[in-house]
Amino acid sequence: MSLGLLYLLLLKATLISFSGLASLPVVRDELVLQYGVLSDAQLNAAVALARAAPGPFGGYVISVGYFVGGVGGGIAGWLALITPALLAVPLVHYVARRAAHPRARSVVDAIVMASAALILAATVPIATQALGSAALIVIAGMSALALAATTLDTVWVMAAAAAAGLLAAWFGTPL
Amino acid sequence: MPAEHRKLSVAALARVFLRNGAFTFGGGDATTASLQRELVANRGWLSEQQFGACYAVSRVTPGTNLLAFCTAAGWTLLGWRGALWGLLLASIPGAAVLMLMTGVYRTALGNPWFASAIHAALAAAVGVMLAAVWTLLRVPLRRTPARAAIVTLPALLLSVYGWASPLEVLALAAGFGLLAPGRDAA
Repeated sequence: MSLGLLYLLLLKATLISFSGLASLPVVRDELVLQYGVLSDAQLNAAVALARAAPGPFGGYVISVGYFVGGVGGGIAGWLALITPALLAVPLVHYVARRAAHPRARSVVDAIVMASAALILAATVPIATQALGSAALIVIAGMSALALAATTLDTVWVMAAAAAAGLLAAWFGTPL
Repeated sequence: MPAEHRKLSVAALARVFLRNGAFTFGGGDATTASLQRELVANRGWLSEQQFGACYAVSRVTPGTNLLAFCTAAGWTLLGWRGALWGLLLASIPGAAVLMLMTGVYRTALGNPWFASAIHAALAAAVGVMLAAVWTLLRVPLRRTPARAAIVTLPALLLSVYGWASPLEVLALAAGFGLLAPGRDAA
């Protein structure tokens, strides 16, 4: 499969989805079932790897691209991942031009509150999966407290948590 | 450019996107929460209203929400330069790590040291998300608690139980904001 076709197929999948893994059925249909260039095992591994890497879960298309076409395929996957995001510019431009209107402010205020609820709702499945032991719950709680009570950058909290994970592995009790 | 940010340089914005793109685990929501903290709460480069606009736009943009958010936030702060840097730097580090891991995926997923560090980072990502929720809600809860409850509780229930997609939840909140303007809009 050419890299151009791979890019277009992955772009088709990302363009018609509105969240990270929503493109998965299209990717499977095109690359596993129709073209036969990817196995289900590779697709599952791509999803698992994206969950373990920094960045969006939708980044699994990069792994998919890599499995199909090596480094060039990975780059094609990355391009398919980032291309739709450019559509945000005209949309936010449209919103920003109307932001000063009182009713528009009211709408945006309501959206901010709903956004908080959506982030909280998204936390539930991640917490269910991620907090499988008392030590991990403590790490989550301490991270939340540190961030709520200080102006510490998030990156340092993540780095400290990862260091704690390495330390636990060092003492023979990996998290 | 839609807003003036004289203290904000491309390099400073790039550093924030790069660090969050490279080191925040837990997916797009965790990274958005982390960016909310850095761009809104810590540095004040984006107002909460601008954050809300970028967040809503990222939800109606096809593809990955996080990258649409970074593009929208970058554009709001520094125009096209900000949008491109935001998009590239939020995606390249993770893409590079992911390609590396894909190349050695059996080792990567089976290594107990790596897995232990990732598990701990994912636990911290939960904390990051909870802190972001608190940051977004603390002012509305203090100023207009009833209004905050009317919006957030149904939004939370609709989303947790899967009765409405995030897009529908945001549309409902927008409809509420339009039909029931707050004190500032009255």
